[in-house]
Amino acid sequence: MEEDRGLLERRLSREDLLKLAAATGGAGLIAGRAGVADAARSHLAAETGRLQVLDWAGYGNDGGQAMFAQYVKKYPQNKPKFTVMANEGDALAKMRGGLKPDLFRPYVGWVKYFAESGLVQPWDPKLISNFKHLNPVMVKAGQYKGRQWGIPEDWGFDSILYRTDKVKPKRRSWDLLWDSRYKGKIAWYDDPVEMLVVAGYYFGVKDPYNQTDDELKRSQKLLISKKKLVRMIWSSETAMDQAFASGDLWIAYAWPNDWVIAKSKGLKVEYMYPKERPISWVGMFMLGKGTSRPKLAHAYVDAWSSAKSGKWLEDNYGYGHANVLARPSSSNLLRVLKLSNPNAVAEPNAHFDRDVRRRALYAKLWDEVKAS
Amino acid sequence: MAHEAEAGVTPARVLHRKRWPPDLTTPGLLGLPLGWLAVFFVVPIVIVGAYGFGVASLNPGPHSFTLTGWHDFLHSSVYLGLFWKSVKMSLLVSASVVFLAYPLAYYLALSGTKRKYVLLLLLIAPFLTSYLLRVLAWKVILGDQGVFNTFLFWTGLRDPDHPLSQLLYSRFAVLLVLGYIWLPFVALPIFVSLESLDRRLLEAASDLGASRWQAFRRVTLPLSAPGIAAAFLFVFIPTIGEFVTPSLVGGTGGYMYGNQIVDLFGTGFPDWQTGSVLSLFLLGVVVLLTIAFARFLQVRQVTAG
Repeated sequence: MEEDRGLLERRLSREDLLKLAAATGGAGLIAGRAGVADAARSHLAAETGRLQVLDWAGYGNDGGQAMFAQYVKKYPQNKPKFTVMANEGDALAKMRGGLKPDLFRPYVGWVKYFAESGLVQPWDPKLISNFKHLNPVMVKAGQYKGRQWGIPEDWGFDSILYRTDKVKPKRRSWDLLWDSRYKGKIAWYDDPVEMLVVAGYYFGVKDPYNQTDDELKRSQKLLISKKKLVRMIWSSETAMDQAFASGDLWIAYAWPNDWVIAKSKGLKVEYMYPKERPISWVGMFMLGKGTSRPKLAHAYVDAWSSAKSGKWLEDNYGYGHANVLARPSSSNLLRVLKLSNPNAVAEPNAHFDRDVRRRALYAKLWDEVKAS
Repeated sequence: MAHEAEAGVTPARVLHRKRWPPDLTTPGLLGLPLGWLAVFFVVPIVIVGAYGFGVASLNPGPHSFTLTGWHDFLHSSVYLGLFWKSVKMSLLVSASVVFLAYPLAYYLALSGTKRKYVLLLLLIAPFLTSYLLRVLAWKVILGDQGVFNTFLFWTGLRDPDHPLSQLLYSRFAVLLVLGYIWLPFVALPIFVSLESLDRRLLEAASDLGASRWQAFRRVTLPLSAPGIAAAFLFVFIPTIGEFVTPSLVGGTGGYMYGNQIVDLFGTGFPDWQTGSVLSLFLLGVVVLLTIAFARFLQVRQVTAG
């Protein structure tokens, strides 16, 4: 199997060679030629050291331990060591700068980009026991050229969170994000693509993720002209949640998790399902190219993919989970995330985040919006 | 000398003998800081320069020396506009803080109070807490339901449904918080220059019939000008590239040049070339300004007293 070969392809350091020689020599004395082969294989298969995970804040030892508890129990000697990524661009910069994580978790719109980047390698789904329970729509979104580059995990929507006691939307539309009646109470999301995509959907363009120059110019113009109504463009979810809770914001571009947080603080809030449809996304674990711990990485992802982990994620973080057996305790969350519908993230229900061919151009235009 | 000549020792050889063993005091003292500067200042700047001129690239593939990034930057109204906005904000903060700090430093240095060092310690006491904590505290004060607005509601000056929203997540918030953060930095160099003032000059001015205001304007102020210039630079240089405070309390209106650099390096889609160009431009401007200040306002007089 090509995948198997890929998994076991490792560069042997001088130290490895010495260890291998010692192991095969010792085994040879004891068990003959068959033992030599077994010892060699077992050494190659043995993966040492802590698993290097590049992940978002809140998903490591800072609150997300339940997601990988099963892995830690099984591999106490190889506990994960986390590096935080602020976003995919940050992860890309870190990896280009020399960081070599065993695995990391970009979102679905970046699968193709990373698959072509030379920084990752495909997974072997056979080594992930929970893979068969993962939502097929999301599994397919993790494929590129017939191989599984991304393993889907958390998913959710980008939509509008608003205070029902303060805000009366004229219609269920993304245009609430620039409703002049609420000037100074609105927050946008700081992402090089998403706000331009939202503007594209608002204008009804054919493909908001790949807008023409004229379409992009119009989307950018809209955002620049409406920016004066906006109080905050958030990149820190915590900062936005705090501003929302303190009453500094009434309307925000938000994720389901923010709805859960606002609810838990007793705020009267609604998570809108806009007529243009929300944007949907799914987190995809990707395997670092040339990792020396491929099997541990698969075991880690397997732990994340279990129904138990999925339920914990849904109950505690308010996101959906790709494991179709995972169900949250809250019926409210079930309704908001439309968990009963396996196609909730796909067209025509929502606009699934996707590859952006001209991502750099989008980023430049978005920078200009912020700097305007 | 004759004795040395008799002994067959020439002056040059005497010098040579004096140099051995070599005096390692100067290299010993300067070696570490110079090495530190080389490794953590010069080398990073060279690396940033390599990215800025296309010699190095974040992405694999062929790349070579290019001025494209500089051309784009110098023809971008967005980047230059943002830079100018940051310069204006930084100038405003620096000037305001110097204006506020001067009377404070003047009182501490010239009032003759015995408690001046206690008062000075109180002035710098906020430095005992974290920078982030001090910035975040302003959110509690300036928010729509914060201390200031609550006070306005209580006094009836403002309706609770219409708080003063411009206080937080605005350019004003950035200016206010930066001023608060840098005030002690400004007071210290002014205090030093005023304290080293020769009081006999003031007495002489008085003896010659100068009023207190005239003595201040024609003696104290000119002699403390180097301290003012140094204080101004102490604030202007770091605030022009500031990004933490604007990102915490700035909102959309408080976005500064430093935020743009951060975004180019990692927040959005990494563009290290443009980010490096912006960084080098900022560095160049700061260096030029420092040279200008040093030359025209003779900052070195601060140390000379």
